[in-house]
Amino acid sequence: MKRFAELLLVIFSWLALLVFAASFLSIFVVLLLRVRGLDAVSLFFGDTPPVDALLHGLPVFDGIYPALLGTVSVVMVAVLCAVLPGIFTGIYLAEFAGPWAHRIVNLLVDVLAGLPSIVVGLAGFSFMVLLHNLFPGAPGPCMAWSALALGFLVLPYLVRTTETALQAIPAELRRTAPTLGATKVQNIFFVLLPFRAKDLLGGVILATGRAAEDTAVIMLTGVVASAPGMHSLFKQFEALPFYIYYMSSQYRDLAELQYGFGASVTLLLLCGLFFAAAFLLQSYVSFRFRGSSWLQK
Amino acid sequence: MVEQLSFSLGGRELLHDISMEVEENIVCAVTGPSGSGKTTFLSLLNRLSEEEEGGEVCGRIRMVLDGKLVDIHRHLTPSMLRRKVAMVFQNPDPLPMSIRRNIAFPLRLRGWKRGKIAERTEEVLRMAHLYDEVKERLNIDARRLSGGPQQRLCIARALAGEPEILLLDEPTSSLDREAADKIETLIEELGKKRTVILVSHHEAQIKRVASQVWRMEDGRLSVVE
Repeated sequence: MKRFAELLLVIFSWLALLVFAASFLSIFVVLLLRVRGLDAVSLFFGDTPPVDALLHGLPVFDGIYPALLGTVSVVMVAVLCAVLPGIFTGIYLAEFAGPWAHRIVNLLVDVLAGLPSIVVGLAGFSFMVLLHNLFPGAPGPCMAWSALALGFLVLPYLVRTTETALQAIPAELRRTAPTLGATKVQNIFFVLLPFRAKDLLGGVILATGRAAEDTAVIMLTGVVASAPGMHSLFKQFEALPFYIYYMSSQYRDLAELQYGFGASVTLLLLCGLFFAAAFLLQSYVSFRFRGSSWLQK
Repeated sequence: MVEQLSFSLGGRELLHDISMEVEENIVCAVTGPSGSGKTTFLSLLNRLSEEEEGGEVCGRIRMVLDGKLVDIHRHLTPSMLRRKVAMVFQNPDPLPMSIRRNIAFPLRLRGWKRGKIAERTEEVLRMAHLYDEVKERLNIDARRLSGGPQQRLCIARALAGEPEILLLDEPTSSLDREAADKIETLIEELGKKRTVILVSHHEAQIKRVASQVWRMEDGRLSVVE
């Protein structure tokens, strides 16, 4: 009976894996089939010569190049805004918070994690309007607002991964550095955080992925369908998720719809690129901290 | 010098009214059955036990550090104390970093310069009879060493910052005979230059290395010889 149960478990595990792999592949295959025959240069740059767009900043009207740049910029600024508050809140929860503070901050983080992104976008929009009314010179919808709202959206991922990573450290390791004369802060920054750097970067990866795919937040705070010129933090911008949404809901012909699929593949590849870069960084951090064992394994 | 020391954890008294005087530069052993409070007592000497939640200390511990008799609770912060009073645990606990960085860690905390750290690393690894074994592998993860070398690395790391008192909590209990012998030899050598307080329940080991022996039973300490 026990062997039969084990066999069933193995079969179900394999089936689950197959379903997962099939779903993942089918998305890719469908997207790739849809973009078959699409000219990559015109997808990215439209009628603008690529060299002029890349080197001389010539505006691109029909391609996704501005949206690609906008996505990369807004995601980077959002994650940069969220990393420090997220990691430090996680450190506070894991290392310093008393029972009551822990409960309250935990509740706030849970609520924030459960907020639909459209609500975060709406809150960002309201805050922007309020600030604009108080200080008429304050910027209107722009990349900075989108990045701040996105940063707010991904904050819980960073808090939770940092807290969980620190809490999972064995008591023996936690005790070692203080025994050698390290203060609590030195222990956290010189031993515990570097020891868990891989997990912390995992949180950053999650946050990056979440920020890259969100449409609702940026739609209300700064993104537009066409912003062909140079990017600035205080200007409206284009972004891939919004471009995909716009193209798939407003397309006039099949060629435009194919551009939407092309943008989807580009967004997937961009996320893959972010993850690959983060993986390399994880390995590098691990290598720097633990010595050359990584190379010798 | 320990005077009327009591320690309770979560309202339960674990150590009762302990008084003890240890001479300088000897190996002093504390023995007794498991669970009698030996490790708790040793951890009180560098203020680790009191940091546990619900830990309460009564009494006074004074030590001669830098040539002065100081009350460790009144005159030193825990981190300052632990730079003078190093501790090695029963199970080796190398930091998850290379052998070289393990030794450098306490020295960096003390603000030592890189060149001096390299010299000191070689010196303490030689003291711990470990240098020849690891000199070609100083950059590997210290956790890849086997138990005996790991424990000697932990002793070397504890010695790196030149502590005046060394606390050893059953340092050979998880090791085989050969590794234990090497560490016993090391303890004997160390006891000539600094005060070593050794917790052990191996009678034979205590006889070999210790010149003063105390016995802990049910949280009470008494001198044996």
